[in-house]
Amino acid sequence: MAREAALGGPAAKGRGAASDLSRLAERLHVSTIVVFVLVLLVWRALSSAFGSYVMPPPGAVVAGLRRVLVSGELWKHAGATFYRIVVGFGLALVAAITMGLLASAWRQARIAVHDVIAVLNSTSVFVWIVVSLIWFGLTDMAPMFTTLMITLPVLASNVVEGVENVDPRHLEMARVYRLGEWERFRSIVIPSTIPYLVAGMKVGFGLALKVSVVAEIFGVTSGVGYIMNYSREILATDMVFVWAAVMILIMMLTDKLVFEALSRRVQRWR
Amino acid sequence: MAVKVEVRAVSKDYLIPVLDRISFSVAEGEFLCILGPNGCGKTTLLRIIGCMEEPTAGEVLIEGKPLDFAHLPEHRIGFVFQEDRLLPWKTLRENVALVLKPLGGEGERGRKVATDYLRFVGLAGFEDYFPNRVSGGMRQRAAIARALAVEPEILLMDEPFGGLDAQNRRIMQGEVQRIWRETKKTILFVTHSIEEATLIGTKLVMMSARPAAVREIIENDGGADRHAIVERLNRMITEEVIRQQGLDYGFGGATPGERPMGAG
Repeated sequence: MAREAALGGPAAKGRGAASDLSRLAERLHVSTIVVFVLVLLVWRALSSAFGSYVMPPPGAVVAGLRRVLVSGELWKHAGATFYRIVVGFGLALVAAITMGLLASAWRQARIAVHDVIAVLNSTSVFVWIVVSLIWFGLTDMAPMFTTLMITLPVLASNVVEGVENVDPRHLEMARVYRLGEWERFRSIVIPSTIPYLVAGMKVGFGLALKVSVVAEIFGVTSGVGYIMNYSREILATDMVFVWAAVMILIMMLTDKLVFEALSRRVQRWR
Repeated sequence: MAVKVEVRAVSKDYLIPVLDRISFSVAEGEFLCILGPNGCGKTTLLRIIGCMEEPTAGEVLIEGKPLDFAHLPEHRIGFVFQEDRLLPWKTLRENVALVLKPLGGEGERGRKVATDYLRFVGLAGFEDYFPNRVSGGMRQRAAIARALAVEPEILLMDEPFGGLDAQNRRIMQGEVQRIWRETKKTILFVTHSIEEATLIGTKLVMMSARPAAVREIIENDGGADRHAIVERLNRMITEEVIRQQGLDYGFGGATPGERPMGAG
């Protein structure tokens, strides 16, 4: 068999075709499609067993999705959520980069930054939700602030890790060739930190979406979190599923369109 | 010929003594190879001459002027490291141009000079490649171009071809010899390969094992029989390695534990 394959005999040809086929299956995510179909079948079975209040049928969810798309509700609520995330996440990004700059410039600051990150990391989402309700009341600011405080440690720890992982051999090279402080920062510290920052942004943005919808349950009258909770109150379980699907789609799309493109862009030299 | 570099009784201690009163001198335009067993402190010595580390005792004179380790040296050093140490996010040309910036070679002028030196080391056509897209030998050529681009008074090379395969190594040895002939630079080249040192060096400094002292200085100007020199150096380095590893009390002569660790 092995010899035949080495000589390019019929066995080799057959195996080649089979591997072509499996590669095609991989590209089309055939296994995922199989799982998806299975989930749909189980879902339908559960729906008819327990009724549509507990488990709305797949068809109802698709119809609901179409409805919110046509009525424009989708853009209203997804837009509101997206806006809050972008503001909260953007502020977290600014704060994280500032912390990274401090950590890179000053050894003492590095220790403080580490400790601050550890405390933030150990703080529950619920703390920030409650505190922001007290501080900002029933406004946009509450979910924004919660998003800021939850994504900050993720972003900051990545930036600081990037700063700390700058290759000392590159810094030594910079010293031998007498590069200035600014040139060293611009040509070595920033480029080696950027991949860490982008990785942190990818994780942080996912977290931002998950956290901000929780914060939206309280006090605001728009956003995916609000409308999901409202749908539950009026016993429209199918709409709960619709908005869950919307959230998943937003997440997957931003990941694919924004962050994958971004990480390819910043690592084109690899 | 004028003395370019003079190393005077340089010692260096970390927790244990590493360099022990090293002295030698290098004439202008000479190609000096520093030889010794692995880990004997050759790199430390080169780093001291390159002003990257301060000696515990002794001094280094460049053209008669002692190095001031507290400040950046006035003379220009080209340093080729064991690894290429190119910035992977910059193209070969940008990497070379980068070191020209502190010398006033900003923008178009820096690019021009960088292009010229890349061509000089045989990398014409690869200027806009990222380091990860070219071979290890080509990366090391770019590192040499970077070192030459600052127009150094002395060129320090720390086992620059250690990471290359045998063929590339041979080619690069020829290249570095050509570069030396064409630029007439004073080169200090660290290696543990006797083959390499006798092939390219005009003067060889053989170091002993830790703490490293100068064991012998050999002129290799083509007058003496190269094979005889290789023989002699091979014998010396074997002795040093044996001594370094504490085997000089004879094989099988002592039982473990009879000798304290690190003695010898």
